[in-house]
Amino acid sequence: MSDRYFISDADLRGLAADLLGAGTEVVAPVATDICQSPSAIAATACTLDHSLVDIDYRSLATADDLDLDRGLPQLSLKGYFLPEHEALCRWKQKGTTTEVIEVPTEFAPRVVLAAKPCDSAALEVVDKVMNWDYKDELWNGRREATTIVNLACPVIDDSCFCTAVGSAPDDVKGADGLLTPVAGGYVYEPATDKGRALAATHKARFDADVAADTVGRQADDERAAARERVAGNLEIDAASVRDWIDTHFEDPLLSQLAIRCNGCGACTSVCPTCHCFDIVDEQEGVGRGTRRRCWDTCQAPTFTLHASGHNPRDDQHVRYRQRINHKFAIYPLKFGEVLCTGCGRCTRVCHAGQDLVEILQAIDIAARRPRDDASGPAADEPAEAAS
Amino acid sequence: MTDAQTDFEPRITAFVCNWCTYTGADLAGTSRLHMASNVRIIRLPCTGRIDPLFIVKAFERGADGVIVSGCHPADCHYTSGNYHARRRFAVFHDIMGFVGVDPGRMTFSWVSASEGAKWKDVVDEAVSKVRELGPYEAYRALAPDDASATAEVTP
Amino acid sequence: MTDVATAPAYTGVEDMRRIARELLEAGDVRVIIGWEHARRGARPVFVSDPADTDKLIFDTRCVHNLVTYLNPRRDAVAELGKIGLVVKGCDVKAVAGLLREAQLTRDDVVLIGVRCGGVLEENELPAALALTPENVAPRCHGCDNREPTLTDHLVGEPQPEPPRPVMTIDERVAALDAQPLEERWAFWTDQFSKCVRCYACRQVCPLCICERCIVEKTQPQWIESSAHPRGNFSWNITRAIHLAGRCVDCGECERFCPVGIPLSLLNRKLQHIVRDRYDYTVSDDPENAAPIGDYRLDDQQEFIK
Repeated sequence: MSDRYFISDADLRGLAADLLGAGTEVVAPVATDICQSPSAIAATACTLDHSLVDIDYRSLATADDLDLDRGLPQLSLKGYFLPEHEALCRWKQKGTTTEVIEVPTEFAPRVVLAAKPCDSAALEVVDKVMNWDYKDELWNGRREATTIVNLACPVIDDSCFCTAVGSAPDDVKGADGLLTPVAGGYVYEPATDKGRALAATHKARFDADVAADTVGRQADDERAAARERVAGNLEIDAASVRDWIDTHFEDPLLSQLAIRCNGCGACTSVCPTCHCFDIVDEQEGVGRGTRRRCWDTCQAPTFTLHASGHNPRDDQHVRYRQRINHKFAIYPLKFGEVLCTGCGRCTRVCHAGQDLVEILQAIDIAARRPRDDASGPAADEPAEAAS
Repeated sequence: MTDAQTDFEPRITAFVCNWCTYTGADLAGTSRLHMASNVRIIRLPCTGRIDPLFIVKAFERGADGVIVSGCHPADCHYTSGNYHARRRFAVFHDIMGFVGVDPGRMTFSWVSASEGAKWKDVVDEAVSKVRELGPYEAYRALAPDDASATAEVTP
Repeated sequence: MTDVATAPAYTGVEDMRRIARELLEAGDVRVIIGWEHARRGARPVFVSDPADTDKLIFDTRCVHNLVTYLNPRRDAVAELGKIGLVVKGCDVKAVAGLLREAQLTRDDVVLIGVRCGGVLEENELPAALALTPENVAPRCHGCDNREPTLTDHLVGEPQPEPPRPVMTIDERVAALDAQPLEERWAFWTDQFSKCVRCYACRQVCPLCICERCIVEKTQPQWIESSAHPRGNFSWNITRAIHLAGRCVDCGECERFCPVGIPLSLLNRKLQHIVRDRYDYTVSDDPENAAPIGDYRLDDQQEFIK
């Protein structure tokens, strides 16, 4: 990260326009009408408040759609690498012959602009499982085809906690470069060859002369301030949290923290690191069909339903415990990474009031308690320790 | 509209009860009544057995129209199956119309075992109506779009 | 909008806390399920200790329908013991629904009713705002159960009627009804294509209680599980039909939907259908039999040849 460039506001949009003009797909945050219907009646018929504009990662139609206000997109970048549903193969059957039609695993190059650092970091975390016992060609193909440029985050609100889980508002993990807002534009710092190639190919948009004591310092200060802001939301010792969860499977604390969860699965769908999927064969017509994978959620009652009818996780608090266990103990023990980047979406989307900041705080407190009682926290310890 | 559609043959799926309509349809056949041949009949014990999901499935699988038919009220072989079906399908018919499914694509009828002629009329009307509406492309357009911007997949 | 006043304190809160405490101390219930204040707003709370009943609140942020926790599938909640549940007028209709369908017996639960004046649409706020036409939940307008009868205790003063929202749900349904068929199809298929099949709508609904939901049936797979428009259409229509005459309009499905599908429009339309065809309105009287599963010899059949 030794080279730095300056790119003006106009040039950043110009870069998006150049890429689009060359036929490259550009994915970026776009302000979205949450009713999302081009239908003429949507405005009157939809009950949702149209003053609430969402931001979503979208494929840009024009550079003008690019939203640089640094709000948090509703859904993460996950869907661009692991789509909500995607074909794994197709088949055609005639008599006794079956033809299997493969799907391509190479993809056209594309660029993600102004990605949230928590969303990009999540991709690198999930890379581990996608290259573990089986190399997922579709995930890897999309990762290889994509250049991701992060936009440093100002911290959204007090549900963010990226620094508590090893990321940061100015992280470049999983990404190829970082833009930091400064007066008149952005400082761009490439982090990988792809990031450097972007600046090289679009030389006209990037100014290599960045005054370290003014513009450079501005960028550094902005980023340091953001890191301090988010660290104030939550500080935990991820290693001791991991070890406590690993050794306190039956602890009642975990059930208490999960009691209001409805198992709706909204948290897993908005989460940038959740990656579980189901595979189904769907018939499309006589003698033809598609094998698809689609997002699944460990919070669904049938997630672990066996063919025998037995379900080892047959109640919601057990499923919720599993989510915490997987993210903060099992995945770290297996891959050395917390399966969470602190984006806070799960907390914001949960309409039953489950609060991951509070939950991690409670576990952290339990984990740091002196080991005088081997069976876990005292009975009168409140579950909502952080509120 | 009609020129392009002259070679469109609607595909109609009919869900009928065993005791009345199926027998009535059989009578239409043995009476050598001529009628449109676009209908595939699925026989069920009673209209009360018909789940609205069957109709949704028929549209999913390429039907341009559906017929649901059973015994007249008071004549149900199982006493009250058709009464339950009547309420269920009233609600289904209304809500499908609300979400934009043309009611002309769904025909509901009471056809008794002796009403071979009525079955012929129901079939001919349904086929003619659906021929006028055209193939149910709008439903087929709901087919999964796996060829998203991020992947080029040949169909 | 930033100048909206805080809502005045609800008069019934002290009574609610007292009743809850007494029920717990007497052992009449083992847990009280109500609302508490938390970092991001009001949320459900489970209180087992009489000393903790001071956590209980009631204000315009108490949108959640707590009857969902009575779902027979929830073993962890059942294990807590007999429940004392705080309910608004809309919520308690769901209890009636469960009683009607023999999922609950009346003695299983103690109901603490509140005389509600309406709730906020956007409830995740640090303080309870006073209700205005812009911020009130649209479903509160026209509420017919502001004096709930299916209760063991009833707290709070009678509240003023909730303000009429900028556009009522009935007006929105009427606007849709007035549109041509193709417009309605375009609207609904766009909405359903947003669905990610998280099943939040089903999970939170107090009346979605089937032990094995039709969408999970795999042999055959009646409803495609992938989140494509075709599968989503089937899922959303099926769920809607299964709730005809049962939905209590608590609005939780729409509130929980992470992608903002306006389910309240579908639900309200279904209510109109059963009202117009069968003269049926969902109430908190468990003796009032649901319309689907029932029939009359002279039911309407104008759509049948």
